[in-house]
Amino acid sequence: MPVSDVLNLSRAQFAMTAIFHILWPILTISLSAFLLVVETLWIKTGNVAYYRHARFWSKLLVLNFAVGVVSGIPMEFQFGTNWAPFSQHSGQFLGNILGFEGAMAFMLEAGFVGVMMFGWDRVSRGTHLFATGMVAFGSTLSAFWIMVANSWMQTPAGVTVVDGKVVVADYLRAIFNPDMIWGVTHMWVAAIETGLFVVAGISAYYLLKRRNPEFFARSFKLALWILVFVAPLQVWLGDSSGVDVFETQPAKGAAIEGHWHTNPSGQGASWSLLAWPNQARQENDWSIEVPGMLSILGTHSLTGKVTGLADIAREDQPTMLPLLYYAFRVMAGIGFLFVVLAFWTAYVFRKTRGRLSALLENRMLLLAWVLCIPLPYIAVECGWIVREVGRQPWIVYGLLRTRDAVSAVPASAVSGSMFMFAAFYVVLFISFFVFAKKWLKNGPDLTLMPPVEQVRAVPTAHSGY
Amino acid sequence: MNSSPTSMLTIAWFCLIGIFLIFYVITDGFDLGVGILSLFTKKEEHRDSIFASIAHVWDANETWLVALGGALFGAFPGAYAMLLQSLYVPIMVLIASLILRGAAIEFRHAAHRKRGWDLIFGIGSLLAAVTQGVILGKVITGLAPGIASEGFTVVAAVGVTAGYALLGATYLVKKVSGQLEQIARRYTVISMLLTAASAILLSAGTMLFSPIVQARWAQPGVFHVLVALATIAILSFIYIAYALRVGSVRGPFRASVLIFIVSFAGLAISLFPSLIPGHLTITAAASENPTLVFMLLGIGTVLPIMIGYNLYQYHVFRGKVVAHH
Repeated sequence: MPVSDVLNLSRAQFAMTAIFHILWPILTISLSAFLLVVETLWIKTGNVAYYRHARFWSKLLVLNFAVGVVSGIPMEFQFGTNWAPFSQHSGQFLGNILGFEGAMAFMLEAGFVGVMMFGWDRVSRGTHLFATGMVAFGSTLSAFWIMVANSWMQTPAGVTVVDGKVVVADYLRAIFNPDMIWGVTHMWVAAIETGLFVVAGISAYYLLKRRNPEFFARSFKLALWILVFVAPLQVWLGDSSGVDVFETQPAKGAAIEGHWHTNPSGQGASWSLLAWPNQARQENDWSIEVPGMLSILGTHSLTGKVTGLADIAREDQPTMLPLLYYAFRVMAGIGFLFVVLAFWTAYVFRKTRGRLSALLENRMLLLAWVLCIPLPYIAVECGWIVREVGRQPWIVYGLLRTRDAVSAVPASAVSGSMFMFAAFYVVLFISFFVFAKKWLKNGPDLTLMPPVEQVRAVPTAHSGY
Repeated sequence: MNSSPTSMLTIAWFCLIGIFLIFYVITDGFDLGVGILSLFTKKEEHRDSIFASIAHVWDANETWLVALGGALFGAFPGAYAMLLQSLYVPIMVLIASLILRGAAIEFRHAAHRKRGWDLIFGIGSLLAAVTQGVILGKVITGLAPGIASEGFTVVAAVGVTAGYALLGATYLVKKVSGQLEQIARRYTVISMLLTAASAILLSAGTMLFSPIVQARWAQPGVFHVLVALATIAILSFIYIAYALRVGSVRGPFRASVLIFIVSFAGLAISLFPSLIPGHLTITAAASENPTLVFMLLGIGTVLPIMIGYNLYQYHVFRGKVVAHH
């Protein structure tokens, strides 16, 4: 069956390119926001340590930014190359939103990133801060438009379908579709949380090594105090987003919870803590259940109705159920773990009155932060798997099936491009880590002084290092 | 479907897409060209200057392509879907080459041994220019198979590559100094001759082999405009030769930009109202009015701002570069 070959290959290629791409923008969003905070603190307090922090972390941003930009290009064009019928079908809204993303957000980021990275001694402090602010704003705005597009694919609204094509009837309803507010906030906060865990984790690494402890205690504390608020916020957003899923995409909700049979009215649905969903049998092979709990989690009421997967037509059920079920649990588990770690560390800080020596002696705690660096990335990937695999068999939920959306291109062409991307990604990944390791080894330059104001240097170009 | 023959809105979007395309081709054109020329530059200190001249702008330049892709997707989903699907292989090679060069230029900064990254950057730039030429050739020939259109596509690939090299060489004349500037002046002469030859061949080829374009050229007024544009292009070529003789620093780049503007204006006039000759007119490819209006409000208003901060970035890094470590 050649059609299904191309379908599976195109899906695999999109999954691979998306899984790789998302690793980078989440750090760009959060690290540029973090740099904005640090640079503002420098200008407000005049403390040169903040300037050195800005210079130090911006080197990581440079490395990360490049991979993010180049790995984003396949995303922009794959809708046309591999999903041409989908582009025809939904282009009037999705193309429009992607056009906004490119023109309003991505360009803003790119238009100021040069000044931000190479312009330290060419523009005034205020101007530089503005450039950093525009990069941070651009990357956040980019996430906003991308999540508008994706949330519309989850809960399409504000359109009519004429001759097999989506025509926008109401832009407000299309943009503010039911999933949009949760999609945008949950993703943006996930990005912020990622950057904070990276900053805190790398700072903890230096603290463990006792390299420049005073310098890194500053960034560690800054990240920690923001996380004390952000980590619980993310759990709340995830919970609200879940309630929204049960309402707008019942099949996805049932699939991520391994819930097969709709609860009778007046009776709460039971929740499986762990299970192995079996699609062929339309049943869990085994499960550990908590009676009545799923109604509370999914609808915030004791007896709220939660539709079971077995009560949804087989052809409308998502597949790969164990993947969905466990991806969801990994994501949620990491989210809770982060709250615990942030609160525990804040408690230790209070108990020791924030003494640096006490922090340096608490090696288990510091090690926990270092080991947590990969976790936000894993959580984000799992979240996207839940979001995208859980939407299947639809590409636009309820409007267009994925199998009807794929381009008629030869399977060999798709496997060729996929192989090529895979090879490139391996090289990019390794190169990034080689350079990041070098950056980590070099550490911050604690002799660096800010350029003197009001002196216009002779125009020279810097390589930035 | 849109009822009017070609509405003002669709024409506005055809023009806007053209503006995005010309911004992309000129800005990324010169840094792709700079990349191609770096392949021929043996001294590492020269390559340092070459990379320093584009380090701060290549990313924004390439972003015009992403903005172009998004705008085309929204305003002409029919064309976006048809073009990218039919040109799967060249598009994927283009994406691959952009990945290569983008990663290489950023990793180069951090690398101790730069040679390998420089080579990747140069090859990526060359490959990107060639595939863009192939895509241009395929669009003009209406995706038609056959020896004539393949030949045309080959010439288009050479022409675009030479044109980008011309933009890159004249940009270097503007941005670098000393021995390297002299080398850049030599590159300008070579790439200018190649560009002029390809332009003549492509114009002749279009006239001989494309019945749709022939018909378009025969329409009243069109031919006169094209002759005027061609005259400007010829004068620009002559001006570059003159500017090189008198040692002008900025003149050659400005004239090269003008050559690209009139070439793409000529192309747009020749294609209109087709987007892909023989397959798709702009009306058939266009979105319905609500989308075109909403996008015009959104993108039309930010376009001047986009241009503004891009110019600001160039302004901050104006003047000749001095690479140092």
